Amino acid sequence: MKDDEFKDDTIDPALATRFAALRSELAGHDAPRCVEKELLQAFARQFPKQQPWYRTLSLPQWGTAGALASLCGVALLLALAPHQAITVGPPVIGIDSGAAFIALESLERIESEPHARVVEAELPQTALASLGMPLNPQTAGDTVRAEMLVAEDGHPLAVRLSAVN
Amino acid sequence: MTTDSTDTELLRQVHAGQADAFTALYRRHQGPLYRYALLRCGSGDAAADIVQEAFMGLLTGRLGYDPLRGQLQHFLFGVARNLALKLDEARQRHPQLPEPPDDDGEPDPDMASESAGPLARLLGNEAAEEVRRALSLLPPHYRDPVILYELHDLSYQEIATVCQVDIGTVRSRLARGRAALARRLHALQPAPSHDAHLA
Repeated sequence: MKDDEFKDDTIDPALATRFAALRSELAGHDAPRCVEKELLQAFARQFPKQQPWYRTLSLPQWGTAGALASLCGVALLLALAPHQAITVGPPVIGIDSGAAFIALESLERIESEPHARVVEAELPQTALASLGMPLNPQTAGDTVRAEMLVAEDGHPLAVRLSAVN
Repeated sequence: MTTDSTDTELLRQVHAGQADAFTALYRRHQGPLYRYALLRCGSGDAAADIVQEAFMGLLTGRLGYDPLRGQLQHFLFGVARNLALKLDEARQRHPQLPEPPDDDGEPDPDMASESAGPLARLLGNEAAEEVRRALSLLPPHYRDPVILYELHDLSYQEIATVCQVDIGTVRSRLARGRAALARRLHALQPAPSHDAHLA
């Protein structure tokens, strides 16, 4: 700091002592805390903190975002969930020398049934329409003789139509 | 942020919006600046205002500090000095009512302290308070070099930069300021008692 070449050592010793006392006394004097506080407030005004993006959204925007997220979540769950394909197809129908065989269950299920039995029955032709058989309106009121292949628990597995009455 | 960061680095961070850097810079320089302003103006409130104004100028960039032209501390002393000069001018434009003189014709420091801040008692130590009051009665152009040289260890060259005068002027003002201060302090010394002479 002080240049030696310029340093004036001719100071009155009494004055030097008093300066030392003043320097010592002033050592504990700092600007009041309120100055720093006000300066930091001014700093905050000058450099406002950038808010995180999620604080910039309004309530309606939050609602929309939530709804979209829910939809996406549901779609994702549906896409990822293990699901069984539900196929509703026409029953397997086979025509063999004028008789029709209609499988009501899959062939594997029918083959795996150990104690299947055959039950004879008379079915209205209208019931055959629901099994995919063509229906003649003129004979819709007639019945048809059928042999039902039934599982041990009574569940129908297949129908064989032997003749139309 | 380390305490070893230079003022220039801290200033760069301040202007980038880092509050920690501003706090570090303020805490590094507020003490000397406040003490200078306190002795220069003789009022804690005025000194606090000066410190705040100086740092506000630094914060907003209004002061245009250039690190190549000197240390920040000395620059702030110069700013504080200019603010104190403005305060002096304002006091001259709106003078206070004169205090009635004492019997010896000298203004009573304690009486003056109530109207003029510089003479209000600020320090607890009696010797320090005496020299502070004597300093406050010096003309401002003597007061500046004495404060900066004796209490802040600035060189003649640095004082010349702060006060915007040449070195020779600093030397002469410092010498005259010291002399005036010594005279005033000597006058404050209690005269040796008659009994002491007799002994």
